[in-house]
Amino acid sequence: MRVIADLHIHSRYSRATSQKICVKEIARFARIKGLNLVGTGDFTHPRWLEELQETLAQESDTGLYRTAKKPESSVRFMITTEVSTIFTFENEVKKIHHVVLTPSIETAVQINNRLEKYGDLAVDGRPTLNMDAPHLVEEVMEGASENMVFPAHAWTPWFSIFGAFSGFNNVEDCYQDMEKHIHALETGLSSDPPMNWRLSKLDKYALVSNSDSHSAWPWRIGREANVFELKRLSYGEIVDAIRSKDKERFKFTIETDPAYGKYHWTGHRNCNVALSPQEAAKLGNICPVCRRKLTRGVEQRVEELADRPAGFKPENAIGFMRLLPLSEIITTVLGTSSPYAQKVWSVYNKLVERFGDEYAVLIDATKDALNKVVDEKIAEAIVRVREGKVKVIPGYDGVYGRLAIFEENVCENPFPRRVQQLNLTDFTEKNQ
Amino acid sequence: MFKLKVADAKLLKDMATAISILIDEATFKIDPENLKLRAMDPSRVAMVDFEWPKTVFEEYTCTEPTKMCINISELLKLLRRAGKDEVVELSLDEKTGRLQIRITGKYTRNFTMPTLESSEEEVPTPKITFNVRAKATTEGLRQAIEDAQLVSDHVRIEADAEKLVFNAAGDLMSAIIELQKGSDTLLDLEAKEPSKATFGLSYLSEIIKAASATSDIATLEFSTDMPIKLDFQQTKEGKLTFYLAPRIETE
Repeated sequence: MRVIADLHIHSRYSRATSQKICVKEIARFARIKGLNLVGTGDFTHPRWLEELQETLAQESDTGLYRTAKKPESSVRFMITTEVSTIFTFENEVKKIHHVVLTPSIETAVQINNRLEKYGDLAVDGRPTLNMDAPHLVEEVMEGASENMVFPAHAWTPWFSIFGAFSGFNNVEDCYQDMEKHIHALETGLSSDPPMNWRLSKLDKYALVSNSDSHSAWPWRIGREANVFELKRLSYGEIVDAIRSKDKERFKFTIETDPAYGKYHWTGHRNCNVALSPQEAAKLGNICPVCRRKLTRGVEQRVEELADRPAGFKPENAIGFMRLLPLSEIITTVLGTSSPYAQKVWSVYNKLVERFGDEYAVLIDATKDALNKVVDEKIAEAIVRVREGKVKVIPGYDGVYGRLAIFEENVCENPFPRRVQQLNLTDFTEKNQ
Repeated sequence: MFKLKVADAKLLKDMATAISILIDEATFKIDPENLKLRAMDPSRVAMVDFEWPKTVFEEYTCTEPTKMCINISELLKLLRRAGKDEVVELSLDEKTGRLQIRITGKYTRNFTMPTLESSEEEVPTPKITFNVRAKATTEGLRQAIEDAQLVSDHVRIEADAEKLVFNAAGDLMSAIIELQKGSDTLLDLEAKEPSKATFGLSYLSEIIKAASATSDIATLEFSTDMPIKLDFQQTKEGKLTFYLAPRIETE
């Protein structure tokens, strides 16, 4: 059976999340999206864990859960969380986020009992723990060998293992002797597998993709996901497919265009400055507007650590498919200001009703079939996204990338003023 | 070996301030005739070209050409302790490699600070044909830049035979500041052809603000979409010139 899994989302108990997130809403939108497995997120938070205990029912022998009130739902839940560790390594403060998977609420409680001595778990759904990364892995893996830890959104500038601000250059430096338990890396929205393939030292890890969603809306949840082909859907099968990087079971990941991510390019949000790695390097990573250090984007950071040229694909690599949220595509074509608009929902609902769920629309529906349901331009846009024929104006320093499906979109939606600051070497070299 | 004595600490302090707005580690070249520095800021958007001949100094001894790199912000911390008419002496302790700073006024203070590894990079002067040459008061320029900063982070400088215009446009507001040839602010203007170029205001304002402490008159030279050269006429002999690369608006 095909399983599409988003293993990293958040509850309303995490900072900067939608207050409407609850199990019922997650299940509802996960089904519409086409996910059949979704992480609960935030199991470390006592109140969210209580809510999970009340609203979820454990399946027998799968290590997964269904909603208690709607057991016939196709959506299963895996007990997951994200934690932030803060520690010092070689006199530098490191703030690294990690995703933790566990097979039951009971094992989640055991993990919480171990972690609560490192920080207040009730403060935030994504708790900050005063412990280093190896100790986190040790505590989690001592609780149950089925548990799994992997670095979250591995490349974002802040709070990630390879982050430009407080990250490492190697997985081994971060996890030390506990690296033996690390089998996967979450690529995050701003990077995709081809970017990670440029580092030979990452070949042994499975590259997983999750949404890290802060709301249940279908343009957030499942925007990145993992696609498995399993004989039986269970926690053990999923974790084993990832750990063994088994291409027979772990088929591919769903990726947004990395340029869509909030940290793909280097820049300054407040200065409206967005720069490619080459442009940023030329300016010495100094903002041409405020003259402070730029927020180095993921593409630039990958460039710094890469030992292979762009386009290299390792032999054992797991494939990927590039998609964008259907609501975003419709919003762009209709020229509305946000995916919340009624006009967008109307088109979205028509498509989901006809094809079953959003992934079926994005991946499987033929252009002819789409044409029968919606405006030709929307059908064309969906096919263009599927075929990778769209332009994404890169995100930078916390600003999402912007879609330009048709040429006219580029003109209608100009990017925040692009600053092209030349430097003096442009003139000395040119004139010598 | 060198020993440089400046009769007025303020002169040295103002010059160090002007240099420090672009660079942290300053490599000075000292030879029997001059003290020089030419450096670009880390982003290579701006460059400072500074030179003081030995006549600026009350006492100037340099037996052989040498380079000295120092953290200019750290030097400034020490120079800020000196009063207006106090005397500053700079010399190198060759044994320790440290710079000695002696400030003499009502009493004498001796500081030392480390020297750093000198930059070997030779900074070339941008080779540009300038079509506009404008001589203005630094105070007038400073006011114009402050006006522009109210509405934007960049300014387009335009010139024709009659006037120099600072045109700034932000998301909400805009400003046009006109300086007429022959006015109290714009002392002279030569324009071979109408020209315009856009520059970041953070650079311009800091350069003009810092350099105006050393100079009352500045000469601006630029051409369309080319770097601007700002030459600040020194009260004593010497040179303080900045180059600033333009910004290109893509829309």
